[in-house]
Amino acid sequence: MPEMSAEQQQALQEKLKSMSPEELREFQKQQCIFCQIVAGQVPAKKVYEDEQSLAIMDINPAVPGHILLLPKEHYAIMPQVPEKEIGHLFLVSKYLSQVLLKVLKAGGTNVFVANGLAAGQKAQHFIVHVIPRKEGDGVLNWEEKLLDNNIRLKVQQVVEGRLNELLGVKKEVVRAEMKKAAVPEKEKGKEQGKEEPLSGKEEKAEEEKEGGEREKEEDEAEPEEPGKEEQPQEAAEKGKSKKPEKKREEKEEGISLDDIAKLFT
Amino acid sequence: MKCDYCDLLERNDGILYQDSEVVIAVKETALTPGQITIFTKEHFTILEMIPDEILAKCATVANKVGIAVFESLGAQGTNVIIQNGIPAGQKIPHGALEIIPRREKDNLPLQWKPQQLMDEEMDTAYLTIKQEADKLVDIGKRQEKKQVVIKPEKGKIEAEEGKENYLLKSLKRMP
Repeated sequence: MPEMSAEQQQALQEKLKSMSPEELREFQKQQCIFCQIVAGQVPAKKVYEDEQSLAIMDINPAVPGHILLLPKEHYAIMPQVPEKEIGHLFLVSKYLSQVLLKVLKAGGTNVFVANGLAAGQKAQHFIVHVIPRKEGDGVLNWEEKLLDNNIRLKVQQVVEGRLNELLGVKKEVVRAEMKKAAVPEKEKGKEQGKEEPLSGKEEKAEEEKEGGEREKEEDEAEPEEPGKEEQPQEAAEKGKSKKPEKKREEKEEGISLDDIAKLFT
Repeated sequence: MKCDYCDLLERNDGILYQDSEVVIAVKETALTPGQITIFTKEHFTILEMIPDEILAKCATVANKVGIAVFESLGAQGTNVIIQNGIPAGQKIPHGALEIIPRREKDNLPLQWKPQQLMDEEMDTAYLTIKQEADKLVDIGKRQEKKQVVIKPEKGKIEAEEGKENYLLKSLKRMP
């Protein structure tokens, strides 16, 4: 981002206020460094690219090997990304993770998404971070605390309704589950005072709007499935030829996936 | 070793939603209250073992959970995190996505210190990764094929999975 004088900034603020949401979105795209990378206007170390996504090396990585996976389309946060693209991005992140485990001899990987400033999001472009991890590297380690059962129930109860709507779960099911959760909840009603982290609502409006937008997109995206039947044959052949190849490579180079899994057993 | 997620499912404890592939749960521990976990119904130890179509579904479900968290818990942001392998902080041997509600200045340890690498160091990492990543092609196309096969015709699932889960197969070979 170029530096701006106070006057320029003020002029920009004025301009932004007068824009329609469409214009604003277009403006954001033009300003977005990652859109410029996608368009090839800004150089980046690209490690993977397909129709929907682009993976580049992070220039300020948590550790060497830190990859940023971007949708080519500009979305600010995850709720704006159409379902199909989210699925695709996480799929690509799995394969990138596999690459990191293999070539960097990483002991693990994190796939990390930050939605919103409060979550540590720095760019205006939705990003999936894929980070190679080694013991003691000091990146993203946290300890979890045992939760009070009442808090668990409360969370469940509060989230369930909206979640079921989003997932398209039938109303009867919602009610039955709510009832179940509600019984112990009443007994321990006093505990509700503890729920501070759940009750603040000031900045909710914007999130909700974005959620709504996304739902619309989702509705458009969902009915597409029948159309895909056109090319299973072709794709199946590609899949066949690919997998045995991969297996062989793993044997040769001794990929550590099994070792990673074995640590748990 | 007993798997905590399979155990939650068995006891129907904290389960918000489940279908034949994914489970959404409020597990017994959390970094912060309101954290929600999405895991696969079938037990896959790490991310790499989760079949494409199930992972894609987990991701779309994670997004919906994120929206529900935004809206119903009044979160100001969310993190979606996969901890893959013990050095990455994975505690339970069952691949999962964590949705963590965030509020400004909540001081959760979900921030890393960005590094300024030497050009050489950067290039080495890049070239090593690039060489291997160049072998990844048509990831999306494989996914589309899976969706077509899996959903309408149950009979074909076995054959597909046999091909897909080469990692699982190799795991089974272990003593």
